[in-house]
Amino acid sequence: MNFIPHTKEDISKMLSVVGCSTLDELVSEFKPRLSELKLDSPLSEMELVSYMTSLSEKNSPMKYFAGGGSYDHYIPSVINHLVSRGEFLTSYTPYQPEASQGVLQVLYEFQSFVCLLTGMDVSNASLYDGASALAEAALLSSAHTKRKGVFVDDGLNPAYLKVLQTYCDGTELTITNTIDENTACVISQTPDFYGNIKNPQGLIEKTHQNNALFINCISDPTSLAILKTPGEFGADIVVGEGQAFGIPKSFGGPYLGFIAVKEFLTKKLPGRIVGMTTDDQGNEGFVLTLQAREQFIRRERATSNITTNQTLLALTATIYLALLGKSGLQNVARSSYHKAHILQEKLRKNGFDAINTNPFYNEFLVKSPKPSEKIIADLLECNIFGGIDVGDNKLLICCTEKNSLQDIDSYISAVSK
Amino acid sequence: MKLIFNYNQSNTKHTPSQEKDVDLPEELKRSSLPLCDVNEIQIIRHYTELSRKNYGIDTNFYPLGSCTMKYNPRVNEDIAKLPGFSNLHPHTPTSHAQGALEVIWELEEILKEITGMDAFSLQLAAGSQCELLGVMIAKKYFAEKNENRTKIIIPDSAHGTNPATAAMCKFQTVTIPTDDRGNMDIDEFKKVIGKDVAVVMITNPNTLGLYEESLSEIKDLAKENGALMYCDGANMNALLGISKPADQGFDMMHLNLHKTFSTPHGGGGPGGGALGVRSFLEDYLPVPRIKKENEQFVFDYNKEKSVGKLHSFYGNFGILVRALSYIRSWGSDIQKISLMAVLNANYLLSLLKEDFDVPYDRRCAHEFVISAKNFGEKSTLNIAKRITDYGFHAPTIYFPLIVKEAMMIEPTETESKDTLDEFAKVLKTIIKELKEDPELVKNAPHTTPGRLDEVKAARQLNLRWSPKES
Repeated sequence: MNFIPHTKEDISKMLSVVGCSTLDELVSEFKPRLSELKLDSPLSEMELVSYMTSLSEKNSPMKYFAGGGSYDHYIPSVINHLVSRGEFLTSYTPYQPEASQGVLQVLYEFQSFVCLLTGMDVSNASLYDGASALAEAALLSSAHTKRKGVFVDDGLNPAYLKVLQTYCDGTELTITNTIDENTACVISQTPDFYGNIKNPQGLIEKTHQNNALFINCISDPTSLAILKTPGEFGADIVVGEGQAFGIPKSFGGPYLGFIAVKEFLTKKLPGRIVGMTTDDQGNEGFVLTLQAREQFIRRERATSNITTNQTLLALTATIYLALLGKSGLQNVARSSYHKAHILQEKLRKNGFDAINTNPFYNEFLVKSPKPSEKIIADLLECNIFGGIDVGDNKLLICCTEKNSLQDIDSYISAVSK
Repeated sequence: MKLIFNYNQSNTKHTPSQEKDVDLPEELKRSSLPLCDVNEIQIIRHYTELSRKNYGIDTNFYPLGSCTMKYNPRVNEDIAKLPGFSNLHPHTPTSHAQGALEVIWELEEILKEITGMDAFSLQLAAGSQCELLGVMIAKKYFAEKNENRTKIIIPDSAHGTNPATAAMCKFQTVTIPTDDRGNMDIDEFKKVIGKDVAVVMITNPNTLGLYEESLSEIKDLAKENGALMYCDGANMNALLGISKPADQGFDMMHLNLHKTFSTPHGGGGPGGGALGVRSFLEDYLPVPRIKKENEQFVFDYNKEKSVGKLHSFYGNFGILVRALSYIRSWGSDIQKISLMAVLNANYLLSLLKEDFDVPYDRRCAHEFVISAKNFGEKSTLNIAKRITDYGFHAPTIYFPLIVKEAMMIEPTETESKDTLDEFAKVLKTIIKELKEDPELVKNAPHTTPGRLDEVKAARQLNLRWSPKES
């Protein structure tokens, strides 16, 4: 394809204004000059669509009973229509607020939604994904407490733990087994990777006795429609993955990291923050604010190195939350909860052992009477992705409002063969 | 100002009702959910109205320097939304996700060809995360060699992410000034390059839109001292099919996939990052790596030297799909992108030369920096605001920090000669206005919301809506 509008006449006129005779002469100082790239011939739109569609069809469609950081919730139709509007889609970071009031207001609404759901005071305008948001929260804690210890409670998503470990290695923080005077933060995921809903009260008290910060990590934030907020429990920082709010699973990204804090940590937040202000006529409007924290001004003294964030996905989540509203989000949470409990009950009756020690939301762990590889293969035969194999014949299974009672019956009949 | 929280309507019901409450202990249950219900038509109007308060590439020329705001082909959006890609769960067994793994594999292969690097990780969410990975790799590489290197050399024209990243990983940043031709000052570089330097981070072409003329000498000195050469590839739009960063002597480089390979910037993201390395650093790349075994693509987690992992899953896959589609649509014609990006920038610079101060008067690459310092303090800000009135988005302003009253202009290859002529004419008109009716420019913009008070925003923080205010 060709996305360059110039005619040959345009090019020769422009070259003469620039004072070059050929395009090649324009780039003569770019060295070493290469002769050619070994790339395939260009494709027309028709050929491109055909090629990429054939690749996409090598991925098998199926019904999902899996979570583990990516959730198959229903996505209302309106989202795609609004998010595809070119004014949103093709804009960039709102450096010129007068030309970006739309995106800025959306981000202000997003920040508000995150605060309302988590019970926290202040949210930023998004981070990359759940895992890196958690790592940024640990860095924030270290910067605030001037300590280097990171304590991780059991049940953190293993991929998040791995990302956290990588960030800690690079930035000279240490993951430790104890909570003491060197602890910058205590990290706890609830519901945890295995679905357990925890009461963090005791851990929060211990954290605060040691003057450390408590970070609550959330994997499927639809759970916040029914669960007591981390803010109410006393968390200092809440981070998580916002994919559940209307964002396609898309093989793991792009997703939506979020971070919210208690007010005293506002100025330590990484990334973009939108604030309300007024224009020269006194009308309300929005700008990027507290920019003195950011890398393009403060360089090596910035609170983080983040530039690009996930605005379009923050827009997606904002529209999702607006569309579902209070009753819709409660419906989604209750349905996900009940479906998971129905499936777990049926599995127990079919010889699976329930492993969860705590109440669970929409994910749970079972031990299979047969090798888990066989269970997963039998389900795949029926185009069902039945759960994540976590080893030792244990399966991590997830339900959302999308799993019908009929799907649940198909699941049961596939594993009872 | 009507926020989405200011409505109170009946719910549209997108999913079936579920009245049955959950069976949880009271101390774990939420007491109230302070959200409102809004009906669908109102939501459509609310966000459509907001979209109209926003400039995008689709509506306005958007010459934001350093951001590569080129046309985003719509077909790539459709392709990313194909159900086989967008519905695919990341934990799907790789046997049932071969198409997705092939996308990653093929994009890695193509990026290797374009840059000359030997291996790529596509796991990164953005350019700054690539830098973080690059610095982590350098840290681990030297630690294993038992070399104590504490410094990272960065020119003063660099993006702020470079020093911010170095500091995150506890390296000391050594800043090199820019010489009077806009290059990193080679004499100053010679004074600091030594065995304590881990990485030399260079953006090429640099943020002034200029090719680093001493690059070959810098590379030789870095290598002599055992330091790694890192290329911030934010400006790769100038080099496609013209020069490979690996041939220029870089050991690592990143690509901002959303810039060079045209995935929509979405109001600030999502982006996508790719980090390429020479073979001696390949083992340090994050897991999982992708490999081909008996004509099947599989993930390989078994990499002892790997620095670890930086993404919840495998990267911003939807962005990778768009980037691959974009590159395949250009194919072997890809050089045309950079040639035309460089032509557009030089042409626009030629049109503006007589009106603005040009701090480094050389042929530019795909972007250039001019200065409005001759029109007085804050002129750049005022001009930028006035540009909005004429239906264009402003350029990047006050960056790089080393140029007073800087305006950094990147037209990209997809803008026509007519658009560039029109933009130059508008800038000339504004300069005339500055002389004849300065208040008109100082009080701009006049067609959008008025100038917003950023000082007030930072002093009287209002970062969210609260129910009590309603």
